[in-house]
Parts: sequence; structure tokens; C-alpha cells
Amino acid sequence: MIRSNPEELIRKNIARFVDNEIIPIAQELDNKGEFPRDIFKKLSKMGIFGIRYPRHRGGSGGNTTLFCIICEEISRGLLSVASIVAMQSLMGTNFLFHYGTGEMFEEFFLPAMRGEKIGCFCMTEPDAGSDLGAITTRATEVDDGYLINGMKTWVTDGPEASFYTVMCQTDPSKRLRGIGYFFIPRNLPGVSLSSRFQCLGTRTTPICEVAFKDVFIPKEYRLTPEGEGLNAFLKIIAEIRAMTAALALGLQRAAMADSIKYANERMASGKPIGKFQLVQSKIANMATNLEASKLMTYRATAMIDEGKEALKEATMAKYFATESACSASDECTRIFAGYGYSMEYTAQRYFRDARFLLNGGGTHEVLQCNIARWVGI
Amino acid sequence: MAVWVEIDLCDGCRRCKRECPYDAIEIKDGKAQIGDRCTCCGACLEVCHHKAIHTDIQPKTIPDFSEYKGIWVFAEQRGGNLTRVSVELLGKAQELAKQLNEEVSAVLIGHHVADLADTLIQFGADLVYLADGEIFGNYRSEPYSYVLDELIKAYKPSILLMGATHIGRDLAPRVSRRTGSGLTADCTELSIDREEGILLQTRPAFGGNVMATIANRFSRPQMATVRPGVMEVVPTPGKEGVVITHESKVTEDQVRTKILEFVKEESPHVDLSKAKIIVAGGRGVNDLEGFGLLHELASALGAEIAGTRVAVEAGWISAANQVGQTGVTVRPELYVACGVSGAIQHRAGMMDSRFIVAINKDPYAPIFKVADWGIVGDLFDVIPELTKGLKTSCEVMCD
Amino acid sequence: MNIVVLIKQVPGNSDVKLDPKTGNLIREGIDAIINPDDLQALETAITLKETLGAKVTVLTMGPPQAIDALSEAIGMGADGAILLSDRAFAGADTWATSFTLGKAIQRIGKFDLILAGRQAIDGDTAQVGPQVAECLDLPQVTYVFDIETVENGYVRVKRRLEDGYERIQCSLPALLTIIGGPVKPRYPEVASLLSACHAKAPIQVWNAADIGVTTADVGMSGSFTQVVKTFAPKFERHGELLEGSAVEVVHNLIERLKQNKLI
Repeated sequence: MIRSNPEELIRKNIARFVDNEIIPIAQELDNKGEFPRDIFKKLSKMGIFGIRYPRHRGGSGGNTTLFCIICEEISRGLLSVASIVAMQSLMGTNFLFHYGTGEMFEEFFLPAMRGEKIGCFCMTEPDAGSDLGAITTRATEVDDGYLINGMKTWVTDGPEASFYTVMCQTDPSKRLRGIGYFFIPRNLPGVSLSSRFQCLGTRTTPICEVAFKDVFIPKEYRLTPEGEGLNAFLKIIAEIRAMTAALALGLQRAAMADSIKYANERMASGKPIGKFQLVQSKIANMATNLEASKLMTYRATAMIDEGKEALKEATMAKYFATESACSASDECTRIFAGYGYSMEYTAQRYFRDARFLLNGGGTHEVLQCNIARWVGI
Repeated sequence: MAVWVEIDLCDGCRRCKRECPYDAIEIKDGKAQIGDRCTCCGACLEVCHHKAIHTDIQPKTIPDFSEYKGIWVFAEQRGGNLTRVSVELLGKAQELAKQLNEEVSAVLIGHHVADLADTLIQFGADLVYLADGEIFGNYRSEPYSYVLDELIKAYKPSILLMGATHIGRDLAPRVSRRTGSGLTADCTELSIDREEGILLQTRPAFGGNVMATIANRFSRPQMATVRPGVMEVVPTPGKEGVVITHESKVTEDQVRTKILEFVKEESPHVDLSKAKIIVAGGRGVNDLEGFGLLHELASALGAEIAGTRVAVEAGWISAANQVGQTGVTVRPELYVACGVSGAIQHRAGMMDSRFIVAINKDPYAPIFKVADWGIVGDLFDVIPELTKGLKTSCEVMCD
Repeated sequence: MNIVVLIKQVPGNSDVKLDPKTGNLIREGIDAIINPDDLQALETAITLKETLGAKVTVLTMGPPQAIDALSEAIGMGADGAILLSDRAFAGADTWATSFTLGKAIQRIGKFDLILAGRQAIDGDTAQVGPQVAECLDLPQVTYVFDIETVENGYVRVKRRLEDGYERIQCSLPALLTIIGGPVKPRYPEVASLLSACHAKAPIQVWNAADIGVTTADVGMSGSFTQVVKTFAPKFERHGELLEGSAVEVVHNLIERLKQNKLI
């Protein structure tokens, strides 16, 4: 029986979208720094946001590998668009999908799949990042519901979102065991937003702080049952890191492709600079790191799809792929030389955007500690 | 054609059954049987150890075409006006006819078009086949292909050329299939192979990246459509020719299409493919205002204006003026590309321009690879300067 | 209404090159796509399905890899797809191709409209559509950029000409060749793409026996025309970069335009 290979087919079609709809306007989008509403709408029509969710429940029936392929391809076009896709498809809707009531599913999840509502995820606080036990946003039980108080920062898509999945502490004495996820629509009284952050890179991705002051939510808006918050988090952290690695892959590919093209065209001393060994060395390193990143990333996603524990593999993939993306974009600006310093060329954008990946999914300093611990330190 | 098994020689060994790509062979009562699915591919013939399978499949041979003579040109006319390409084709046909020592004929189909026959003779036709009738008033695929088929069957030409216009490319394939002839599209070069006496048809493929020469050995007439503007017009003033009137059997009830109306497009829908000079703008022109500069340059040069897909999609210029793979293919004497990066899709539409000027601020834009003269610079500086320079140089010449 | 759409998978990048030694096409590393005009034809068919209700069957001829073109068509909303794939079909010119497609359409049986793209970007012949129409004795309208109505056994379309357009009424069944119009083809939905990969997807693969043809009538052996040689087009460009201030470069350019009698 002749049939298409699903991974190749999805990659090819997303690549076509990226080549036709994103790459030609990527510089312009980045310059404007506005939320890419038009592209967001087009992606929703393709059913991209539901790629991780089963078809019979409003999704597109894919898996983590396909999700990461999509993230990688879009990131090749513009990382900030890919980060928006990742938020909508994974962190922004995951807990709503698994724990929300039927009503919430109809009112929020399905519209999010159609691109009509944007969901996002609030975890980091001004004084608590990778140290989750230290979060101070409180969910206090009251009659028929909860009161939420606290402040979240680095909320990706925060300014555009219509609902938030918020990590809260229910009992500070329990530290990590006390955390849980709460669903908070933006239009509830007591929810307020800071102005948009001015960031180094991923300029179309809006990021802000979200503050909650005595926000009352009904009982069913508590997404994770008592004591399950941490487990729920651990269930998707591997996927978040694999996804971040996929974003880094896309960026590496873009930086490498532009570097190769430039090195073959740009002449110095009568020959293309690609003929010089120092340039060849840079390209060879990019290519090798890319290949290794690819293998690590898709090994992790394959394990996740098989239902295996993949936190270590995903963490290593995220760490390696992101470091490789930073180095590839750095080398890209060097190969471009003066043009790498010019805002009119792509190299600078890769260089700036790559830094976004360093923090998402855990700082590398923390990840390295984790990895060291897992191997016996 | 068929493949069959000589039952007495078959020992039911199943080799042929295993070899058959189409599951067309069954073994019944210890003998191979060839079923309906047989495509006469011959795969079973070689594997039979007992030579029990036979066929009447003949290797392909070139039939005798000696009675096919003469080079025909379809004289495309609309509203009583001959298209230029028809006259160009008569020019080429004269050259081919000389080599083959055959006659050039034009096929003229229309209503009240007899007057055009003389024009065709003055541009090289020895003979004009004329089919005049109300049914041929406006071009439609069916009546035109029916009458051409009647003529071909009656007079057996060796070569039939048509312009690669919208009409020619609608009609030629229809006629080819009807008369049973091979057809080559959109040729840019035609010549005669001296040894075989056949027509060699050369055409671009893959967006102009590859040229292919094609021969049609197995059918007559050898049909080709030819790109307008490529062949040279060769007038033959004072020539005398013969007009043969053909009464067609085609009737209106055989025709399944009806033209409700023709809408001439109001927008200055210039035929870019005929323009001598073109000024084209791409993404780098930025906006409508930028295109204003291009319009000024175009008027100083006496040029038509064109754009890339990006320029069309941004609404800076109408879709009719798009040059490239999905737009018009142009072949002007001079093509001035402003803020055009030169993606292959665009290059495919303008690479055959005689001279190309490129103005772009990106020194690595691919357009420079196909340019005769490249200017790396800001088009907002260069173009006004160029417009000014052209106006002055014109004034100098006028003095 | 039953619509059959003829599509072709072509190299995605027409920037193909010839191997300087062998003269063969270098096809490696070239992604295959649905030919742009055919994609437009597909979009037209699916729009008709949405507005008037129709069953859309997509037909292509090609190597097994052309399955991707069909999966994409399913992803866009086609109801079924058929891949004509057989070694015997290889090397066909438009004559043999139109014969093969015609036979396959006869096997499909019921159809009111056949839509095809005007031309493919690899061959640029624009011949297969009209030749299929003649094979099946159907009326044709080429260069269609808009379908106005399909009713009472007639289709009304707009046909592009060099200096305007014609509005044409054509009886059904009919074959139309489609060119780009105002509507951009949609992208496929990922869910449908994934279901097209499934064994139960409505995609069939037919060979020469399935459509009842002899191998002598298809592919290279069924073709009248043959490529006798291919070569790279010649480019003799000056390739001169003019440098200096705007005034200087413009002066130098005008000099060159004059030398070549362009102004």
C-alpha cells in the first residue's frame, strides 16, 4: 500500500507555509513587533494548534513529534511566531484540555483551537523562576471557589490572551506539593496587566506581567486536583523542553542556511569566502551541532510519544540545541561580518532571537545542575 | 495486439505468473491462462523456459509519411485582424520550406475574412486554405478544431505551426488529439534535420532553465506552437498565391460552447509580452509612492511598467502587469528591474530580455547574476537621477 | 455533482540545473509540490464543493512519491484520490499522458466537470487538458479564472484572453483548465493530512491493467514525440557592476544604453 509518511508530509506542508507566508515578511514582522494576527489566523485554519490533541476532542490527531516538527519549521521562518504557536498548542491549553469541564471545553478550548481565543501560561514570578516551590501567588479556598492573589511575570502572549493557566500555591507549608493550576479568564475583576515588555528578541511575541488581586474563580476553575499539581507539571515539562529544543533547531537551520548562502556568494580576495577554511570550520560546526540537536530532540519526542519517561533526554536536547542555536547565530553574524551588524539582514535577528531560548523551559544553569544530578553528582 | 499461451508447451511452472506485474496470469488445470488484465508488456515472454508464450507485439517502427507534404501555418485572426505571430510563423515557414523544397500554406478560418488571404500571401504563403462561415465568427475550440482536422485529413501537411497564444494553445492540443499527431508546445527555435528531413522543435522547459529539442518521428503533421515575438517576419511583396476555399461540414449543433460576451479590459492592459522597454518594480520599491518614481522613469524611457508577485499582492500594480512564472513572460529589448531581488520565479519571466539593468541595494540579490548592468544602491536616489539624466540626454539629442 | 481534478506533482523549485557532463536533469534536493495551476484547480473544485455540494476526486499520474500530492489534495478537502502509477507510464509525452488520464477518467465513470490547471511549471505545455477533453469528446474552456454558475446542465465561466476576457457558457460534462484567480489556494489541514496517511484513506493506486490499456499505448512507447537533446540556455550577459555616486552610475548607465542603441 502506498501512503505518505505523516512526518514528512506535515513537515513539507508546514515548510511551504513558512516559505510562502512567513519568511517573505519575517523582517517586517520583527521590525513592527506586533502580534502576528494574520499568520495566527492562517495557522489556526490549518488546525495547527490542535496537533497534540486527539481528533475526537477537537484536536488534529498528531503527537509530540509532529508538534515539534511544526515548531521547528515555523521557527525556521520566525522564532517568535513559533513561540506563539507553542504557547497556544501546549502550555496555554494543555491543562484546560485535561482538567477543564465540558462547558470550559466548549467556551474556551475549542475557540482556542480555531484561533479565536488565545490561552497562555503563568508560572514565573518576580522572585521565583526555576525554583517552583518558592512561588507566592496564592489560591485561597473560599465558599464555592477560590480567591487568587499574586503577580506573574514573563507571561508569553499575556497581552493578547483571553485566559490564563496560572500556577498557584494552595498551602505554602507544602512547598512543591502545594502547587496547583487554576484557570483564570482575563475579563474577571481583579486581573490586571502591565505594559508590554521591551525585549531583545522574539519581538512579535508579546510578553508582560499579570497581576491578580482578590480574583474570585468558581471551584471548577481549579484545574488540577489537590496534590496533583506537581505531577501535572512533571508530565509536560519534558514536552516543553523538547519543544524548546525544536524551536532551537529551526533557528539553527535558518542561521546555517543563510550563512551558507552568504559564504558562497560573498567574494573576498577574488573568491567566495566559503573557500576559506576558517569559514568552512564555522559552517562545519553548525552542521554537526545541528545534526546532533536533531537526533537528541527527536529521540526525546519519540520517547514521549511512546509514553516513556524522557525528562533527562528532553532536558539535554533543550540544553544542547539552544546552546547550538546561540553559537550558530553568533557565527552567522560573524560570517556576515559588517552585514551581520546591520538591522537589514537576517543574521542580527537570529542572534537576538536565540537568547529567548536560553530561559524558556528552564535556565541552562539550572538544567546543568539537573543533568549533573541525574548522572550521579 | 495480444499475448497468448500455447497450451501444449506449457508445463504450469508458474514462472510467468510470478513475473507478471499485473496479476494477469492464472494457472488453471496446470496451464497458464492470460486474463483481461494483460497489458501486453511482454514480461512473461522472456521467463518461459518452453517458449510457450507468444505475442504479435511489433517493435515500434516509423510509418511511411511520404504523402505528407507542405508546411502549414494557422493564421490566427480575431475580429478580422491577423495576429502578428501568424505572420512571424509564415516567415519561419518560408525558411523551412526552402530546406525541404515544399510549399508554405496558411489556414485561414473565420467569418468574412477572405480579405486577409492576400495579406498572408504577401508575407510568404503559397497557398491559403480558407474556411469562411458564420460558425467561425468568434474563435471556439470545437468548430475550429473540426475544420482543421477536415483540412489536415484532406490535404495531409507535413508540418503545422500555430502561435502559442491563448487561442493557439487551446486549439493545437485539441487538433493534435483529433488528427492523431504529436505536438510540441511553445517553441522558440525550429529547424530541419537534414538527414531525416524532420522538424526539430526547440523549447525552454523548467522555467527556462533547460532547453529541450524535440522530434516527432511517429506522426504527421508535426505540430508545434511557437512563442510570439521570436520568429522574424519576412515580407514577400508582389507574390502571387492560390486561395482554396473549403466547405466545412461543421454545424452549430455539434458545438457545445457559446460565447456570451467579450469584455475588453479597461485597465491599461498593455500587452507586456510585446513591450520594447519595461520598468519593473519589486519589494524594494516599498509602496505606491515608490512606484510613482518608476512611472516617471517609465515615461522618460517610453517603457511599460511591470511588477513582481510581491508588488501585485501589495496592490502597487495590477495583476495583468505581473512578470514571472505565474504572470507574463516578457522579452523586451531593455528590462529595468528596480528593487527586484530576482527570485527564480521572477527571472523565469524576464530572462530572455535582450538587456537587463538591475537596481538593488542588496549586492547579493540574484537579479545581479542575470543583469548586464547592475547598480548597487538605493533606488530612491538612483531612479530620480536616472529619470533626470534620460530627460536631459533626450533634450540634447532633440537639439 | 462529481468533479474530477487532474493534478501533477512537479519540482517545487524550477531552479533546476543540468548535469554538465550527462546533460540530465539534476533532481536531487528538489522538493516536489502540486503544480501551482493545478492547486488553483483544486481550490476551485473544493470551493464548488462548499458552495454547491460536490464529490471531488483527484487524479494524478506519476511515480509512487506522487502520493504526497494526493495526500495534500485530501488535506485541502478532496473526497478521494487516484494515483496512476506504473513503470509503463514513464516517459510519456502529452499524447500518451492524455490517453492514460482519459482511460482512468472513463474508469472513474461519473463526472460532470473535469478541472485541470492550465499548465505545469516543469513542462509548460498546457496541452494535457485540451487533449484529455478531445479524448473523452468533451467541450473545453481553457484559461478559466472564474466559474460564475453551474446549473441546469451548463457551466458559465470567464476565460482570460490577451486583451480582456470572454464569458462562456458550456454544456456539461465539460473540461476546464484553470488559471490563478483572485482566490489563493488554501493550505491543507493537518488533521486531514494525517488521515490521508492512514491505510483506510480514500486513495487508490491504479496501474496499466487497472485502466485496461496495453503498455505499448502508454508511456514512452505510446508517445509520438521524443526529446532528442537537452542543453543549458546560453547567457551572454555583460554582468557589469556600476559603482560610484548616484550621478556617476546614472551617467555610466546612460552611456551604455546609448552605445547599445537602447535610447
